[in-house]
Amino acid sequence: MSAKSAPAGLEQMIGGVLRWGTVLSSTCLAVGLVMALAGYQAEAARLLAEAGLLVLIATPAGRVVVSVVEYARERDWLFVGLTLVVLGALGGSVAAAFFF
Amino acid sequence: MPPLTVALALMIGAAGAIAGGLGTALGIGGGVFLVPFLTLALGFPLKSAAAISLATVIATSCTVTLHRAGHQLINLRLGMVLEVATTAGSLLGGITAQFVGETLLERLFGVVAIAIALVMVTRLRRRNILSDPGADPGRFGGRFHDEESGRVVTYRIKRMPVALAASFVAGNVSSLLGIGGGVIKVPILNAWCGMPMRAAAATSALMIGVTATGGAIIYYGHGDLQALVAAPAVLGVQLGSWAGMKVTRHASVKWLKLLMAAVLAVVAVLMITRSLR
Repeated sequence: MSAKSAPAGLEQMIGGVLRWGTVLSSTCLAVGLVMALAGYQAEAARLLAEAGLLVLIATPAGRVVVSVVEYARERDWLFVGLTLVVLGALGGSVAAAFFF
Repeated sequence: MPPLTVALALMIGAAGAIAGGLGTALGIGGGVFLVPFLTLALGFPLKSAAAISLATVIATSCTVTLHRAGHQLINLRLGMVLEVATTAGSLLGGITAQFVGETLLERLFGVVAIAIALVMVTRLRRRNILSDPGADPGRFGGRFHDEESGRVVTYRIKRMPVALAASFVAGNVSSLLGIGGGVIKVPILNAWCGMPMRAAAATSALMIGVTATGGAIIYYGHGDLQALVAAPAVLGVQLGSWAGMKVTRHASVKWLKLLMAAVLAVVAVLMITRSLR
């Protein structure tokens, strides 16, 4: 019996989430940084960079969400459980960030 | 922390590019190089350096993974299992970081880096490949096209508990030190768990994004992650990762391991010296 490889589509979907997250966050960070360095609209620049940073942080979490959904579609319940635990741990980090 | 100027942004960006380039091929992100640079050369507090570094780890992870997706190098199933251990470790580490002193963190970093450098050097010539490429890779093993030998190779995962424990520790020190944790996982997966270097690196690259996210969220929530200072680092690392992938695609694994061991040793000595002052 060979290893059940992950659903072929999942790797592509993960690639897609990461691509969009990366492009969007890099664009925000780059524009925000250039504006800040040029001294143009300091507050807007900071907000743009902030948005870029948040998109960046959300991207791996988005990848985990896509994995949960895809494994559920494949009815691979063990991996649904595992990926949900990962998502829960990230949720725990959010809780730790704001309550400790 | 020094104020953000064009010169500082360029320096951070360049450091990020070098860190990203060096780290990419090894699946470790660039944090292990970037944190010492930010603290030692630019005088950032370790917490800010670690926070910025975690953001760059997420960036490398995304860039590398999206380019490797679909080439069988990433072992998704193994990655998803080990991620449970890394995120749990990272969650605990992120909380610990708020209570542990800077000096202790620096010493930890130094000791961990030296240990890993030694492991890399002792294993320069070992390859983790089953002699029969058609062999059953087992539950968590895999198969991929190896660029260096030009053949399809198969591997099995051994000692899953060791892999899980290493991932937990990797996650834990990850948020403490601002590294992806790949620097611990890759050598251990390669040395004790039967995973070829390239597969371990690609799978680690996938995992470090999620591992770093846990820590980054905590630093962000505590106000230690400043977007405008992180921006040049993240952009530099993106550039470096992309270049690193192009350059090291055909580099021999042996030289990659040597390079990594050398840099780790230097970084370890720097960190420990600093902590003793």
